[in-house]
Amino acid sequence: MSATKGEHQQIFDGPFCDGLSSLTSAANDLKSPLSLIRQLSLTLDDSSLSLDEQKRIFRQISITSERALNLTKDLTKSINLSDGLFELEPINPWQVCEDVINEYGPIYAEYNRNLKLVTKKHPLLLVGNRDLLRRILANFSDNALHYTEKGRVAEIKISASKKGDFVRLAVRDYGPVMSSSAMLKLIDKRVKDIPISYLRPKNNSLNMYIANQFASAMNGRIGASRHRDGMTFYVDLQVSTQLNLL
Amino acid sequence: MKKPTILVIESDEWLAEQYERVLMNDYKVVAVNNLMAAISVIDGVMPDLIIADILLTGGTIFGLLHELQSYGDTGDIPVVISTGFVDNLRIDNLKPYGVRRILDKNSMLPGDLLDVAQEILV
Repeated sequence: MSATKGEHQQIFDGPFCDGLSSLTSAANDLKSPLSLIRQLSLTLDDSSLSLDEQKRIFRQISITSERALNLTKDLTKSINLSDGLFELEPINPWQVCEDVINEYGPIYAEYNRNLKLVTKKHPLLLVGNRDLLRRILANFSDNALHYTEKGRVAEIKISASKKGDFVRLAVRDYGPVMSSSAMLKLIDKRVKDIPISYLRPKNNSLNMYIANQFASAMNGRIGASRHRDGMTFYVDLQVSTQLNLL
Repeated sequence: MKKPTILVIESDEWLAEQYERVLMNDYKVVAVNNLMAAISVIDGVMPDLIIADILLTGGTIFGLLHELQSYGDTGDIPVVISTGFVDNLRIDNLKPYGVRRILDKNSMLPGDLLDVAQEILV
């Protein structure tokens, strides 16, 4: 696995390949929000906090809890995918993206960032499951939140392949990515291909695992590409031949 | 008297805010959320103490700590690691990187950070 500029990169190869390391990764990813909630709750004990500060910490606890709960719900769903209790149907990608903006926009705002859909209504429908697709984009958006700098925007984009056989839904962030050369100064100089996990060690592996499972269940794939000023995580899904009447 | 400067390198902004709140009465606190910003701060302001998480945007803290050890002035900056991944860390292995204390994010109390800073910056 490597993260070269502009090309599709398989981003999921790693920590969930064997049982023990997958449990460790999942536990670590779930531990971070709990640890934050604990610290914020302990801070509320401080009597010197103003009412506004208390309200802000309550909001932070609420948002962090919901993000953690969504992660655990997604994890459960990813384990139960083999039950086949989901339908594939023609979906308007634009509507799903709007749903994600509505869910994550307020969270981004609380962090002083912005999440926006930069593509106008898209003419193509794709074949997928609305809930699974929404959760893939939610996981990408959650991940991009770590890498979007204060006051800046992460973007959700819709595009079609040149052949028109698949639709790509992508979340682009403009956060810092250390260049390969700078990274090589800090890590082993013998490493030629820099894995995304080195460029973005805070990437939540559970988010990516879930996105990968959901995409596979819809016959799609996820990937990433690195830019000079950030990264794009995307999911490719097959185009529906049904006409969009909306 | 001039307050000592503490550089906080913590990718979770809300947690960094809490660190800052606990330390700001006694210290000048500069908080950054990624390694590139940390390098730029260290170039401009020589901190008296670094408090850092391990997993950060742009790499792990160890690359930076290794780099800091390469220079005489930055090599003397004491470091406190505050992380949720304490199980595999041994202070003896990290001492060569200037690490003086390891705090467990999952069990530390808000005041612990101030206690450790005061202990190191006497």
